[in-house]
This record gives sequence, C-alpha cells and structure tokens, in this order.
Amino acid sequence: MVLRIEDVHLQYGSSVRAVQGCSLDVGEGELVSLIGQNGAGKSTLVKAIMGEVPVASGSITVDGASVASKSYSTIRAGVSHVPESRGIFASLTVGENLRLGAVTRKDKAQVAADIERELERFPILRTYWNRGASLLSGGEQQQLAIARALLLNPRILLLDEPTLGLAPIVVDLIFDVVVALREQGMTILLVEQNAVRSLEVSDRSYVLQAPGKVLGSGTAAELGRMPAVVEYLGFSPAEVGVTR
Amino acid sequence: MILEFLINAVGLGALYALLTIGVALLFGVLGLMNFAYGELILAGAFAMYLFRDQPWPFALLMAIVFAVVVALVSERLAFHPLRNADPVTLMIASFAVSLALQSLARMTVLPRTRGVPPERFLSHRVSILGADVSVLDLVTLVLCGLMLLVVAWLMGRTSLGIQLRAAAEDFRMASSLGVKANLVIPAAFVIVGVLSAIGGAVLVARQGSVGADMGLQPMLIGVVGAVLGGMSSLKGAALGGFLLGAATALLESLLPTDLIAFRDAFLFSALIAVLVVRPQGLLSGAKVRVS
Repeated sequence: MVLRIEDVHLQYGSSVRAVQGCSLDVGEGELVSLIGQNGAGKSTLVKAIMGEVPVASGSITVDGASVASKSYSTIRAGVSHVPESRGIFASLTVGENLRLGAVTRKDKAQVAADIERELERFPILRTYWNRGASLLSGGEQQQLAIARALLLNPRILLLDEPTLGLAPIVVDLIFDVVVALREQGMTILLVEQNAVRSLEVSDRSYVLQAPGKVLGSGTAAELGRMPAVVEYLGFSPAEVGVTR
Repeated sequence: MILEFLINAVGLGALYALLTIGVALLFGVLGLMNFAYGELILAGAFAMYLFRDQPWPFALLMAIVFAVVVALVSERLAFHPLRNADPVTLMIASFAVSLALQSLARMTVLPRTRGVPPERFLSHRVSILGADVSVLDLVTLVLCGLMLLVVAWLMGRTSLGIQLRAAAEDFRMASSLGVKANLVIPAAFVIVGVLSAIGGAVLVARQGSVGADMGLQPMLIGVVGAVLGGMSSLKGAALGGFLLGAATALLESLLPTDLIAFRDAFLFSALIAVLVVRPQGLLSGAKVRVS
C-alpha cells in the first residue's frame, strides 16, 4: 500500500478529539474516497497525512515511511495536497501561483511543458494568466489549486472537498479531471461530502463517522450491503451508477 | 520652487517607503513586528560614521555589510529559535534585541552622539529647469527610488520574490508547496538589512550625526507607514510610507513657522482619521497573518 493509516488518533489541543482509531489504506494507482458529514474528521485526517496535525497515537505511513518522522517530507514523498480552503495566494497572479507549484523542481524545461499541460487541462487559467488570483471565481480558484498541485507531478494527490460550493458545471469538470488522473495511474485520496459522485468514480470508499471512525469501507456494491452505512448515508451505495 | 518641493517630497516619500517595506516584509514572512529594525538602521549609520573618511560609495557599501550582518546574526541568535512562537513572544524578543544592541552601542562605540561631517558633494546645490535643488534631496530621491525599483523587481520578477510574497501571505501553504523557511526567512532579513542600511546612510547625510538611539524614530515611521498602508500588503506598506513622507514634506512647506513644531500632531491626526475609515490600511491584502 502506498498510503497506510493504522488505528490513528488525532486531536486538537488537549481535549478536542477529531479522529479516534481510524484505519485505511490506499494502493498504488487507486482512487479512494473518504465520505462523511461535516465534523467526521476527514479534513483532519488529510492534514495529518500532510504532517500539519500531530499523530497522537497509531501510525500514518507513505511508502512505509512514517509522516511523524523528522525526515519526512511531503515533497520528497510526492504527496500533493489541495486543501479545502484551496490555499490560493490572493496577492499573486494566476501565473505566479502556478509557478509556485513547481518551485522545488530543477527541470525548468519540463516545468514549462507541465505548465502548458495544465493550461490545456484548465483553459480558463491561460485566459487569466496575468490576473490577480483574488479576482477569480470559486470554481476558477479550485481549478488553479488543482493545476498547481499537479505541477509537483505527485504520486499521491490529496483532494479535500474539491467541489464544495461550486456550480454543477464546474463540479462535472472537477470529477472529469479526477477520473482522467485516475486513468493515468495517479493515486488519489478524495475527501468529499458529495457521496453519490464520489462513489461513482472511486475504486473504493471509506465512510467516516464522527469522531473519525470508519463505519464501513469497500466498493459501492460492498458498502450497499452494510446496513449501518446505508442508514448513515440515507441511500444505498449499491444503487449508485459506477462510472469507472 | 515647485520642482524643489517635489524632489524633496518624493525623495522623503521614497525614503519612508523603504523604511516601511522593511517593517512589513518581516511582519508578513515571520509574523514579526521587529522593533530591532531601528538598530539595523543604526548599524548602517554607524558604518557611515566609521568610514566617514572613505569615499561615500565605499562607506555606503560597508553600511550595507554592517546592517546585513547584524540582521542575519539577530535572526540566527534571537529569532530562529523562536520561529514557531506566537507573535507577542516574537515582538518582545525584538524589544530585547533592540535594547541589547542599543545598549551595546552606547557602552562601546557610541556613548554620545557623534557628528558626521556632510559629504562635500551632498551639500552642493544644482540648478534643474531653473530650480535650485539640493544634491542631498536629489541623492535621496535617486537612491531610495532605485532601491524601490530593485525591491519591486525582486518581489515581482524573481522566484525568490514570489516565494517571499507567498510566504508572507500564508506560510503554511507556501511550505507545503516546498517554499523553504531556511531560504525565505534569512532572505527577508538580508533584504531588510539592505533597506535599513540605505535608510541609515541617507539619515546620517540628512542629520549629520549618529547616536545610539537614532533608529527609534525611523523604526516608528516604518511601523506607522506600514499600518497606514496595510500590514498585509507590501505595496500597501510602500504606499503608506510614501504618503507619510510626502505629507511630512508638504506640512513642512505649508505650515507657518510657529506651527512647524506641531507637524507630527497634524500628521498623526490625519493618520488616525484614515485608520478610522480604513482600519485595515489603505491597501490591505486578503488577510493579515498574526499567528
């Protein structure tokens, strides 16, 4: 497994327990989604993978290396993160935000080619190349955030609520991109509240319940056979039309 | 008359803009309100005194070396161990560094204010388009203007500048993209050192003296200008500093002689009025990083 989370407990400060005993894994080239309501601990788990939230107990490993070790670097591990807030630098232009995505790379010629690749994928970014990122709409900012994350040429892409609050047409575009990346062999952990769309495109899914407990995991069909999951989601995942 | 005033006002505005950028840059990148900034100016000014018999450009170069060394040493010894500390702790540490450096200067090389004879060429006046212009005002304008252009190029056109601006806006996100704290923080201190050295050299030329506490007023100007323009925006800070300098020159020209002593009262009343209307500053960015 590329990403393995074993019996992880995470907390904010000394009292707020965000995740209690969560275990999950993501294999090479898999698209795995993490589904759950607000406060289920999904984003906290992603932050822990990025080393932004300390692991109180349990372990998180990327290619066998613990994210808690001092030598761990998400950049070296090839982990790229699109946070829920998108993390766009408002004072930078679209072009500068994109260039920042490749700031660690030395292969300048390939970087230029990869930027071109992302501009092909998200043409609106070419149109607004010199525009201040703060002037973009939410959907345009999300496209910029994903393009920037992809400029790292990551092995593992962590997408945290990439369609939250976006127009349906942009949601379609984002899911199309996610599916295309999956088909190119990228390993993806997708955090989403849009359970139906996530189940449609994912190889496997984990259903998380507050505080960060796995209620069930598996393919849409397997989740559909779990009464607790069906009750929690309010529909049977087995009825979702899987598009893969 | 008008041209002379313009050169004086724009020159003073450019000088104040340099001072405010120094304050805003460290606040943005490190969350540090650096009260030791005045002592970086002092380091540059002291070099101008120490090398007063050398050619002015050489003394200026040494001022940059002195201020940059003091900036980097203070970063390494005082601020590096506190990188993850909260802004209040950093601010108190900067007070300590400020007082320590000032006391050190007073105990050793500057027990009293030292006179620095003005460079002969700076005390000349030249005629431009019929106006009688001070070379000192002209040099202030050209030197500070050039520095502002260099800073604008560095921040806008280079990878380091983009990384600095990103780090100033959201350090955590910038780090997750690979922006290295060990690159951008020392780089910010070097830039601040250079800016304060230029500021110190110009102040010595204008005042004709160097004293251990001479950094206090320019440091306060930097802080006030940065607050006026918006702490979260380097452009805003530069604008705030420029307006403060230009307004100072304007008041000095317009106020009757018996009211000149109250110049700062007029200036800061106007500042308060601006902040009442725009408490975030004139050009605030998306957010101010305070923790």
